[in-house]
Amino acid sequence: MTDLTRIFIPQETSACSVGADSIASVITTLATENNEIEIIRNGSWGAFWLEPFIEIESQNKRRGLSYADKDVSQFISIEEFLTDFRDNEPFDIQELDFIKNQNRLVFSRIGYCNPLNLDEYINFKGYKGLERAFEIGQADTINQIKLSGLTGRGGAAFPTSIKLQTVHDQESEVKYIVCNADEGDGGTFADRLIMESDPFSVIEGMTIAAYSTGATKGYIYLRSEYPLAKYFLSQGIKITRSRNLLGKNILGTSFDFDIELRIGAGSYVCGEETAMLESIEGKRGLVRSKPPLPAIEGLFKKPTLINNVITLSTMTTILSDGYEIFSEHGAGKSVGTMPFQLSGNIKQGGLIETPFGITLEELIYDFGNGTLNNKSIQAVQIGGPLGTYLPVNLFNTTLTFEALHELNGSLGHGGVIVFDEKTDMILQARFAMEFCQKESCGKCTPCRIGSEIGMSLIDKLNKSNAEISDRVLLEELCETMEKSSLCAMGSMTPNPVRSIIKHFLK
Amino acid sequence: MNIKKTIEPYIDIQGGLIPALHAIQNDAGYLDIQSIKTIADGFNISTAEVIDVITYYDDFRQAKAGQFIIKVCQAESCQSLGSRSLLNSLKSHFDLEVDTTAKDKSVTLKEVFCLGNCALSPSVSINDSVIGRATTDKVLLHLNDSQDNLDK
Repeated sequence: MTDLTRIFIPQETSACSVGADSIASVITTLATENNEIEIIRNGSWGAFWLEPFIEIESQNKRRGLSYADKDVSQFISIEEFLTDFRDNEPFDIQELDFIKNQNRLVFSRIGYCNPLNLDEYINFKGYKGLERAFEIGQADTINQIKLSGLTGRGGAAFPTSIKLQTVHDQESEVKYIVCNADEGDGGTFADRLIMESDPFSVIEGMTIAAYSTGATKGYIYLRSEYPLAKYFLSQGIKITRSRNLLGKNILGTSFDFDIELRIGAGSYVCGEETAMLESIEGKRGLVRSKPPLPAIEGLFKKPTLINNVITLSTMTTILSDGYEIFSEHGAGKSVGTMPFQLSGNIKQGGLIETPFGITLEELIYDFGNGTLNNKSIQAVQIGGPLGTYLPVNLFNTTLTFEALHELNGSLGHGGVIVFDEKTDMILQARFAMEFCQKESCGKCTPCRIGSEIGMSLIDKLNKSNAEISDRVLLEELCETMEKSSLCAMGSMTPNPVRSIIKHFLK
Repeated sequence: MNIKKTIEPYIDIQGGLIPALHAIQNDAGYLDIQSIKTIADGFNISTAEVIDVITYYDDFRQAKAGQFIIKVCQAESCQSLGSRSLLNSLKSHFDLEVDTTAKDKSVTLKEVFCLGNCALSPSVSINDSVIGRATTDKVLLHLNDSQDNLDK
């Protein structure tokens, strides 16, 4: 028998955005009727600047090359393509500093294989977590999460085990698990990457959460801007159903659970948990006042566990590998690893899962290798559109929840966006208000009207006849929005604005 | 297209209105007043209630859109690599403002806040396909290819 050559071409939004699909179609045509070649559409490694990153595995060695800005249409045979590939010094991505220096626990599976190959998932520790949960029972499953120290990765960093326990403790025949896949923050893509490149880990995480709380129905609320994630999740649900990993009597137990995928319709606020519940119920995505907490009275008035995609995936890892693998990492109260997402004006942007405690400097220079256009950096924004902007002299900040809190910011969902020296920072401050004005659900006045007034005040600041009183007024407005808005949209929009005034305005 | 039949599977599921609206818009391209009335009847709610939901969400439209919906990301990561001038360039190329459609219904121009492709900013999407490291030329080339594929 001759050796099989396997060609890996990622099927993932970023890879496809720079031509992975057309390369796949060229290579597939060239390799037709060649039985020694297998083409696999794998997930992405998250080293996005290399995309499309193509790997070839033969004789148990897997080597890859970046095809960014490379054309493959000139090859007339598959042999010619393979020869060219070998001549260009392909390398093992595991040896790349960007990958090697990470500590991938939650993202340990992405990139290796076809994300919808359930057998590969199972070979790679898949469904070990659920089996373990069944073995140790509800209380101990929740305890494992408690011992791990996991907090929600969506942005609010609330202890996951408390939510699980609260939903578990409610007396109700019907309880729900809702997976928040409405990853709307600019500069974030960790949820998307895991849904596209390791969808079963999300499905398994929801199933573990459902088992431990006694829920029988789950919803994934996915933003409509992620059509490829929709494909992977809906296929993943179908496949797990067909293998009795969803549905009645899962894995031969008496536990029933199924998942329905719901698609959003272009509203940022629907990432806020109560607005999301309204949207799943088929209504306008208006924020609800709390209490009642969703864990007590949530979707369709039933106890509801709401967690972000990464949080649920992390539960899968904690259950399969033991809580220690997670809790041994981190710094201070920020326990475990965090998937940072480096983007903007940066050479090497992508997904960086590392323990908390890495400094901004290390993230931007060691992983990111500086700006894409070689200009100096002026600022980074951390934690999405409601996150704070930091100047270069604060790049020694360690990335933990506490450190960012001290700087009046938040780590949010882990997005870090780099801006160069030419960036008009006042324009960025105005944008924060503009974004709030465009995306506000409109239910509370400070957010709906405050953002509008904020825009005009910032416009005035930018003019030569700006007065000190305008700045005082803007600060008062920020305070009003912060203190009296119903949800984070209005209350945190002042964060970017204030940080720009503090650090960048002369 | 049979609206009644399309919405049928959604009437009995909890919170089925939004999935039903998606289904009809996917088939018909937009939600006209006749579909809205049929949906209202099907769900046993008023037309006003259906419109209430439609107008909240950016994705739903009550008029025909262009064959290609071009969304130019204007979120922070893309801003850092020139998405504002990219949008301006596309506006002047198509002679369109944001949220408007060309007279020949070829193109609708929109802005979007994050396509999740931030490490390869700036990003633009054409229907369901995302373009990374987007430039005006790249968008136009992609548009041509999409048109060719449709003509085939």
